[in-house]
Amino acid sequence: MKFIVSSSYLLKQLQVLGGIINTSNTLAILDNFLFELDKDTLRVSASDLETTISAKLEVECDSNGSIAVPARLLLDILKTFPEQPLTFVVEENNTIEISSNHGKYALAYADGEEFPKAIEISSPSSTVIQSDILATAISKTIFASGNDDLRPVMSGVFFQFSTEGLTFVATDAHKLVKYTREDVKASEVADFIMPKKPLNLMKSILAGSEEDVLIEYNESNAKFVFDNVELVCRLIDGKYPNYEAVIPKENPNKLTIDRSQFLSSVKRVSIFSNKTTHQIRLKIAGAELNVSAEDIDYSNKAEERLTCSYQGDDMQIGFNSRFLTEMLANLTSDEVSLEMSLPNRAGILTPADGLDEGEQIIMLVMPVMLNN
Amino acid sequence: MHDEIPIRKIIHVDMDAFFASVEQLDNPDLHGKPVAVGGSSDRGVVSAASYEARKFGVRSAMSSVVARKLCPDLIFVKSNFERYKEVSQKIRKIFLEYTDKVEPLSLDEAYLDVTENKKGYPSASLIAKEIRQKIFEQTGLTASAGISINKFIAKVASDINKPNGQKTIGPEEVLDFLENLDIRKFYGVGKVTQEKMYNLGIFTGKDLKNKSLEYLTETFGKSGAYYYYVVRGIHKSEVKPNRIRKSLGAERTFFENISSEIFMLERLQNIADEIERRLKKSKVAGKTITLKIKYSDFTLQTRSKTLPYFISDKALILEIVKELLFQEKVSNSVRLLGISLSNLNTEKKKTASKKETVSVQLSFDF
Repeated sequence: MKFIVSSSYLLKQLQVLGGIINTSNTLAILDNFLFELDKDTLRVSASDLETTISAKLEVECDSNGSIAVPARLLLDILKTFPEQPLTFVVEENNTIEISSNHGKYALAYADGEEFPKAIEISSPSSTVIQSDILATAISKTIFASGNDDLRPVMSGVFFQFSTEGLTFVATDAHKLVKYTREDVKASEVADFIMPKKPLNLMKSILAGSEEDVLIEYNESNAKFVFDNVELVCRLIDGKYPNYEAVIPKENPNKLTIDRSQFLSSVKRVSIFSNKTTHQIRLKIAGAELNVSAEDIDYSNKAEERLTCSYQGDDMQIGFNSRFLTEMLANLTSDEVSLEMSLPNRAGILTPADGLDEGEQIIMLVMPVMLNN
Repeated sequence: MHDEIPIRKIIHVDMDAFFASVEQLDNPDLHGKPVAVGGSSDRGVVSAASYEARKFGVRSAMSSVVARKLCPDLIFVKSNFERYKEVSQKIRKIFLEYTDKVEPLSLDEAYLDVTENKKGYPSASLIAKEIRQKIFEQTGLTASAGISINKFIAKVASDINKPNGQKTIGPEEVLDFLENLDIRKFYGVGKVTQEKMYNLGIFTGKDLKNKSLEYLTETFGKSGAYYYYVVRGIHKSEVKPNRIRKSLGAERTFFENISSEIFMLERLQNIADEIERRLKKSKVAGKTITLKIKYSDFTLQTRSKTLPYFISDKALILEIVKELLFQEKVSNSVRLLGISLSNLNTEKKKTASKKETVSVQLSFDF
C-alpha cells in the first residue's frame, strides 16, 4: 500500500477531523485516524464512538487497504512541513513510512479492522439545507445550551423540521434561543436533539459555504453529508422540554435600544457586579434606561444611563449580566428590543433589523430576583 | 490591652467517673468496687472506670485486656447510654435553673456562663457549690467544677480538686496560674504536641509565654496562635448554648483483625448503614468523608475526601469510602474501621443568615 498526497491538503483535512478525537480515550484505537485506500481515493475517519466523521481525499495511488494511524503523531509532524508532496508507504513490519523532502519517518500502525465502524442509518428521512444557513443556526443557538449532566436533553440543540420551516432551539433553563427559518422546508415533520460536540465541529467547517448539506436521520442517529465530508452521530435520547409554553405571550413593556451601546454599557457595569451572581439591575422610566450593579461585599458600584425608546410602565428588573452579554453579542442587528412583563418573568430579546427573509430569532432570559 | 472585654464568670462542671458512678448507683452491689464500663471481651475497650478501678491504673480508652491485667478483680458492666442520657438531662435541668448559657460538651460535662445568672448571685464559686450540691441531692452522683474567667481555664481548674471538689481561679490569679501550669495540662495539648513542646524546651506555661506569636504559628500552625493567647489568659470562645453538630461518625472494632479489603468492605457497608440512619435522623448531609483505619498495632490512619456537594446517601458514601480504602494498600491487619462525615450542612446555615443580599436566578418552568 502506497500513496502520494500534498502535505498541506492532508493537514487541513486531518485538523478538521481531529477535532472529534478525545484527548484521553479508554479505547486505544480511537487515538488513531482510519485510512481507507481505494484506488485514488483516500477516506480518512476519526471517531469518539458517539460521532464518526470522515473525509474523502484525492491521492495518487494504485492499491487498496485499511490501516489505523496514530493521530497525534501524524498531526504533529504534518504541522512542521512546508507544502510538499509526501509519500506514504506501508512496510512489512507494521509501520507506515512517510518520505518528505527532508527525510523519512516511520509510525506504527494498527489494523484498520479494529477501528469501530460508523453507524449505518436504517430507513432515514432526509432534508437538504444550505451550509451557511445551518452554520448560522448552530452559532445562534449553541451558546444557550446547558451543561447539566442531570438533564442531558438540554445539553444539545433541538432540531425541529416541518413542512412550514425549520426550527432550532437551545436552552439551559435560564436562557433560551429559538432560531426559525421559514425559507427552508422539510418534506415531513421530524425532530431530534443534536449533541454539542459534532455541532461545534460543523459550525466551523460549514461557515461561509453555499454548498448544500444533506441531513439524514432516524430516531437514534443523524448523518450530515457535505462536500467530501460525512458525519454520523448518535442523537441525545429523551424528550425536549416544552419550550413554547415558557415564551410569555403578553409583554406590555417594550424597550428598543441601540444594540452595541447597550452591550458595551452592560459589559462595563458588570465589572462592578458581584463576582458570583453577576447581577445587574435595569431601571426603566420614560425614555431612560438605567443600568447599575453593586458588589456589596467590596463596596463596588457602577451606574450608567442610556436613552432608549420605551413603551410601558416604569419597572426594575435584574439579570445575570453574563447572559445578557452573550445574547447581545450573538446578535448582529443595529437595534434590539427587549420585551418584559414582570420582574419575575422572562425578558424577550429580539433583533429589530438585519434579518433575512423568513429568518426569525427569539432569545429569552430569566431574571434574577432583586431583594429590594 | 484587652481590658475592653468584661470579665466573664465561666463554670466547667465535670461529673466524676460518670458512667461508672451511674452503674454503681443503679446496682448497689457494685458500690465500692472497681468497675469498668465497656466490653469485657478480649477486644473490648474501657469507656469509663470507677475511682476504685482508677487506683489500679485503669483508664478510659484502655483495652479491656490491659485493664484486667492491672486490676484482676475488675468488674465489667455493659454500657447503657439511654440511662446515662436520662441522668444527664436531669443535670442539664439543674444548670438551666441558673443560666441559659449552657454548652454541653458531652453527657458528663458542660460549660456554664454565669456572668449574668437567673438567681442574681455575684459569686460564681457559690453557684458552682450549689449546683454540685443539687446534683448530689437529685441524682446521688458527685461532680467537680472549675470556675474562672474563660472556658479554657475553667476546664483545667475542674480537674484540680477532682473528685467531688471545685477550684476557682480568680482574675488576679490567672496569669500566675497559667505560668505555673504544666504544659501537659493545657487543653488541646495531646501526646504528640506535648513531645514537640518538650523538645523545644517548653515544659510550663511560663516557657510557652516566652515564645513569640510568629515562632508559635510557624511551629504549630493555627494552634500556635491559640497557645499564644491562651497562656496570656485570652480565650474568647463563648459558651454556645446551641452547639451545632460538626461531624457525624460511626466505627466498629472487630472480633478478629482483618487484612483483606474485601472483608473490610463488607464491614464498611454496615457502618455506612448506621451512618445513613443517623444522618437521616438528624436531617443532615456532609461534604467531607473520612475513613478511619486503626491497625492491629494501634497506629491510626485517616483518609478523607471533600466533595463539592453534600451527600447523605449510603450508596454515595460507600462509593467514596471504597475509593479511599483502595487509594493505598492497608499496611497491616486492621482492628477498627470507621467512617465519618464532616463539613455538614449545619454549618452553612450560619453564614447564610449572615449574608443579607439574596439574589435568586430564576429558571424556566420546564
